[in-house]
Amino acid sequence: MGSVLALSSGAANGTWPFSPDTPPSRWDTHPAHWDRPPRWERRDGRLPNPGSFHSLHRSCKDVFPQQIEGVKMTVNKTLSSFFKASHTFHLSAVSPSYYRFHTEHLQDDQYSKDKDAPALIGEMDSSGSLNAHSLIHLTEGVRARAVFQSQQSQFVTWQFETEYRGSDFTAAVTVANPDVLRESVILVAHFLQSVSSGLVLGGELVYHRGRAEEGGILTLAGQYSRPNWVATLNAGKGGAHASYYHRANKQIQVGVEFEASTRTQETTASFGYRMELPEANMVFRGMVNSRCIIGGVLEKRLTPLPATLIMGAFVNHRGDKLQVGLGVNVG
Amino acid sequence: MGSVLAASSPAPAVNPAGGGAHGAGLGSFPPGFGMPSLSPVSPPSGQAAEDADNPLQNPGTYEECHRKCKEVYPMQMEGVRLVVNKGLSNHFQVNHTVNLSTIAESGYRFGATYVGTKQIGPAESFPVIVGDMDNTGSLNSQIIHQLTSALRTKIAIQTQQQKFVNWQCDLEYRGVDFTSAVTLGNPDILVGSGILVAHYLQSITPALALGGELVYHQRPGEEGAVTSLIGRYTGENYVATLTLGGAGAHATYYHKANEQLQLGVEFEANMKMQETTTSVGYQVDLQKANLLFKGTVDSNWMVGATLEKKLLPLPLTLALGAFLNQRKHKFQCGFSVTIG
Repeated sequence: MGSVLALSSGAANGTWPFSPDTPPSRWDTHPAHWDRPPRWERRDGRLPNPGSFHSLHRSCKDVFPQQIEGVKMTVNKTLSSFFKASHTFHLSAVSPSYYRFHTEHLQDDQYSKDKDAPALIGEMDSSGSLNAHSLIHLTEGVRARAVFQSQQSQFVTWQFETEYRGSDFTAAVTVANPDVLRESVILVAHFLQSVSSGLVLGGELVYHRGRAEEGGILTLAGQYSRPNWVATLNAGKGGAHASYYHRANKQIQVGVEFEASTRTQETTASFGYRMELPEANMVFRGMVNSRCIIGGVLEKRLTPLPATLIMGAFVNHRGDKLQVGLGVNVG
Repeated sequence: MGSVLAASSPAPAVNPAGGGAHGAGLGSFPPGFGMPSLSPVSPPSGQAAEDADNPLQNPGTYEECHRKCKEVYPMQMEGVRLVVNKGLSNHFQVNHTVNLSTIAESGYRFGATYVGTKQIGPAESFPVIVGDMDNTGSLNSQIIHQLTSALRTKIAIQTQQQKFVNWQCDLEYRGVDFTSAVTLGNPDILVGSGILVAHYLQSITPALALGGELVYHQRPGEEGAVTSLIGRYTGENYVATLTLGGAGAHATYYHKANEQLQLGVEFEANMKMQETTTSVGYQVDLQKANLLFKGTVDSNWMVGATLEKKLLPLPLTLALGAFLNQRKHKFQCGFSVTIG
């Protein structure tokens, strides 16, 4: 469940309805920070813009720890005010080790509301896999995005999205993997409308067409937010996805998520929490799952060095499997 | 190489948080026979009169000849480990270990150490009784006792769940300038098998120690013996050891560059498996930052490192480690937290 194109919402959570393989979850912690909506603020008595469809469940997902494995070292370099590069080395026990080069370039833009929204992101792997995003603000309310992902030499994803943000609604159309030769395409239409100061309603229509089959799935979405909590529900023929996010105090945030899929006939419930200790420069995220998975990730900023140490472990009690990860972010 | 039964280096489980004295007055851990101090070549003048009647010191034990170099190397870590050490009194200490492992079974281990009241030196008290038990029921235990001022005995027992895997008894005599030890391992009267190990180490000069080892094993139908010779030369800030025998050769070199940096080089040749290994290890000890870093490079294309940091003011030690085998593309990483 959830958006077919869960590409901009961080790590893939295995809900790719149309291809037999799960999408390559190589965007481990890609922020996609141009999707952060200001939700519970009123501007001049008018209803606020609800943000994009992908970020409905974002605040709850941010609470959960990301599964880390092996040793990862990331060096971030800010080359100028609009150009950033980062090098990542990953040594892993279960997957091949790689080196990745990532670069971001901002557009100097009078339309971009969030000043540091990157316009071009490119990432290249040591195996030759490419990941590229580009975001253009065509006019004040219209944004266009193109995403290309390749696994070594083969293109896995190529999609184009256009989004219109009105004063209290957002509409977006995405064309994913249009293939003239194979006559296949996936079309997604999103619509979100702020109904009241806390309530947002909307829907998603996914139409996929291949040579032998075609079909459409309609999903309705609703979100209710208060200053301290957000509750979101997506429901449709493909399943349901409900999430609840609660900010207990400045340090503790809690998230509960429930996912049900009619295609795989499975449901999952997860509970996660995030504890921030700014005096100790520490952030801890923990989670418990109905699949008997328990995980925790600790991030600590090692002042005075410009480095962050990340340690995490995930245990799957059902299969008795453990995954341990260490990471260092420099810069 | 060396003692078949590694008599004085107990199974890794027994070792509470990597050695080093924990708690006051509990003696030296792991329970071995103490480290031979680096005895520098005594200068011919000044101390000549003092050392006239005793120019040579006891050379330590046979097993410890290679120990100083081996301690420089990092230990392979994998999975997550939590160790809690609690000192219950001056004589008694317990430790709990919870180990979540990626490649082996996860488990809980409980260990206890008792140090007796017979005080021999400032840091050594006897008898020492160490035991630990796994959540599957495997037991490791050792009893070390000093019978007279020169005679020390040790009994070690190891079981794998309910089956006894190792049981050995050891007697060591420390003379003025020599050490001799006899170990009887896994004696089985019913089957008629057993292993007998005899060690002898003699100080020839204040810097040079020579010795030998004889291992005799008997099983119903076959018996055999392996001998090896050992030589150790101790310099001002280095120790070089060579063991040659029927089973192969083992040479180690340990060098203490300064207060913070220690180096070790090891060469091992195994006749049975027809292979040799060379490894270089180093240890950087930053006392001021409470940091200990150990790294190693191997001729088997293995690179590894361990970082240990004491997180004061909490009585916590965090250890991170990773090992990479380039040739086989195998990677292992782990971390552990030690409390107390």
